[in-house]
Amino acid sequence: MTSVTNEAAERVFRRKRERRRQLAKLSFEKKIEIVIELQKTAAGIHKDPRRFVWPL
Amino acid sequence: MEKALQIIEEMTRLKVIRAYAIGGGIAATYYIEPVLTYDLDIFFMPIEEGLDELAPIDEFARSRGYSEQAEALLIEGFPVQFIPAYNELVREAVAAAVTLKYRGVEARVVTAEYLAAIALQTGRAKDRERVIRLLEAAAIDRSVLEKILVAHGLAERLRKVENDFRDE
Repeated sequence: MTSVTNEAAERVFRRKRERRRQLAKLSFEKKIEIVIELQKTAAGIHKDPRRFVWPL
Repeated sequence: MEKALQIIEEMTRLKVIRAYAIGGGIAATYYIEPVLTYDLDIFFMPIEEGLDELAPIDEFARSRGYSEQAEALLIEGFPVQFIPAYNELVREAVAAAVTLKYRGVEARVVTAEYLAAIALQTGRAKDRERVIRLLEAAAIDRSVLEKILVAHGLAERLRKVENDFRDE
């Protein structure tokens, strides 16, 4: 494993970190809506009877 | 989810459980970016330490007509996994839990610092990543975390995780 020394790559990673920080600041209610959207996406790709999309 | 949270609060009032705190993916989602999860993990302190700490919960569930699905209990249609506070760190985390609000319903959730400490102790890849996300989101009071980690012999694990992620 090597450290990131490329400036452009570092800028991309910095933006990703910033986006995660922004997402972390969303309201808990909004975050739960996003979790449910993630569940729907996963269920659309692979059906698992033990895992279902939460009722909101 | 709010109905399930209300029922869990009610279980505390009815002394089905002594205390509880949300952990796992939902606790992480409270502090950092949303993560894909399917269960509401509940760490709980049993009313009585003993042979079957889940028995009062099962009895309560039967009386309410709640069924099981895989390893979770379906509370008002919502999958909840009850996990007895299994060691001193988790017991402390339950005791130090804070209150969150979801759609007007209050519930207890482990603090970000205890969530990180438990993740370090558990030590799976996704747990280690969770620690980094918690640190990145500035959700953690570093001095509080350090104290917890020192008390539970986990300080070196944090340094290792940080070094590993720094090198990636």
